[in-house]
Amino acid sequence: MPRLDRLPPANRANLLNLPVQINEGSPWTPPRAPLAACRVAIVTTAGLHRRGDRPFIPGDPGFRSIPSDTPTADIVQSHTSIGFDRVPVMRDVNVSFPIDRLRELVTKGTLGLAPASYSFMGAQRDVARIAAETGPACARRLRDEGADVALITPT
Amino acid sequence: MLARVLEAGGIATTSISLVREHTEKIKPPRALFVPFPFGLALGPPGDAVLQHRVLAAALALLEAAAGPVLVDFPDDAEAGAEPPAPVQASTVVPASPAPADAEKEATQMQRRHGEWLQHSGGRTAVALSGLPVARLDAVVRFLEAFAAGGDADLAERPREVPLPNFVRYAADDVKALYYEAFLAGTPAARGEQIARWFWGETAAGQLLRRVRERLDASDDPAWKAAAFGVAR
Repeated sequence: MPRLDRLPPANRANLLNLPVQINEGSPWTPPRAPLAACRVAIVTTAGLHRRGDRPFIPGDPGFRSIPSDTPTADIVQSHTSIGFDRVPVMRDVNVSFPIDRLRELVTKGTLGLAPASYSFMGAQRDVARIAAETGPACARRLRDEGADVALITPT
Repeated sequence: MLARVLEAGGIATTSISLVREHTEKIKPPRALFVPFPFGLALGPPGDAVLQHRVLAAALALLEAAAGPVLVDFPDDAEAGAEPPAPVQASTVVPASPAPADAEKEATQMQRRHGEWLQHSGGRTAVALSGLPVARLDAVVRFLEAFAAGGDADLAERPREVPLPNFVRYAADDVKALYYEAFLAGTPAARGEQIARWFWGETAAGQLLRRVRERLDASDDPAWKAAAFGVAR
């Protein structure tokens, strides 16, 4: 999806109607160390969680923890909007949650893995509670667990 | 937005961006714009080489001295390479006569699904209702009873999960069973091909249309929202 103007009309209209923050500048936290000494977590909005964990419902502002030793086969998706094709993630969860790729980078010594990654629900039209409550709570959990870097992935 | 919140909370972030126009406005601290569709943030399934290239490009942004940083992944999507909008039930004409025995059909899908489990190393998207694949016939019977207008429920429904949400989860699990069964026989199938088969040629597709009708007939917003997620 390189540009909105290349999308099918229905998709383009939906995206243009989504409320989007308009910001000046951005917060900035430099990594505390070179990447090889950092512990990386994935934080996704793909609505993923461990099998058996409570599924997301549309508009759910909460997050789910996915411990880094969770078998890939036990990472499932409850972001089941029929507005996008879920077949790719059925085939390979790494298209949204590249945990196997990160594990390979750990083996190579490129980086470390945080104890857990996290998932939020996507397709949110009202992000106020995420911005004010659950997002900061996730940041606290990541810090408490020793994570240094978060790779943010969308649905 | 999430990247900004986590960054303000003391976590260095780097983000994958699928909609450049949105990222330009939101200004996450570090973002890599990629030319992939929704659902493919790291690129196509099974392409570990490309996924590693995307990861490397995103992680390289952590070396920036100041932000916000927005970099384009060097690959560009080919013009016209965008997938079509997902196929919805309302755009598919059911076969005539439409298959009717969803429970019998689901049993057949369970057998085909076994092949998928062998291929996927045991991974399945059937997970949301809490019932295993082997009990999806019970889920189908529940959906049949619900669609017929009765006071249908399942003992396995967690009490904290409202009925319309559980109906949605059950429908999602039935879809996942069928989609994965289809992929077992046609591993390269695309989503739109499977969707056309599901809504046009299966009894389960017709069942979910009836489930949607009952949900949408309610005045309860939660029921209508569930209807919107079952079929459109």
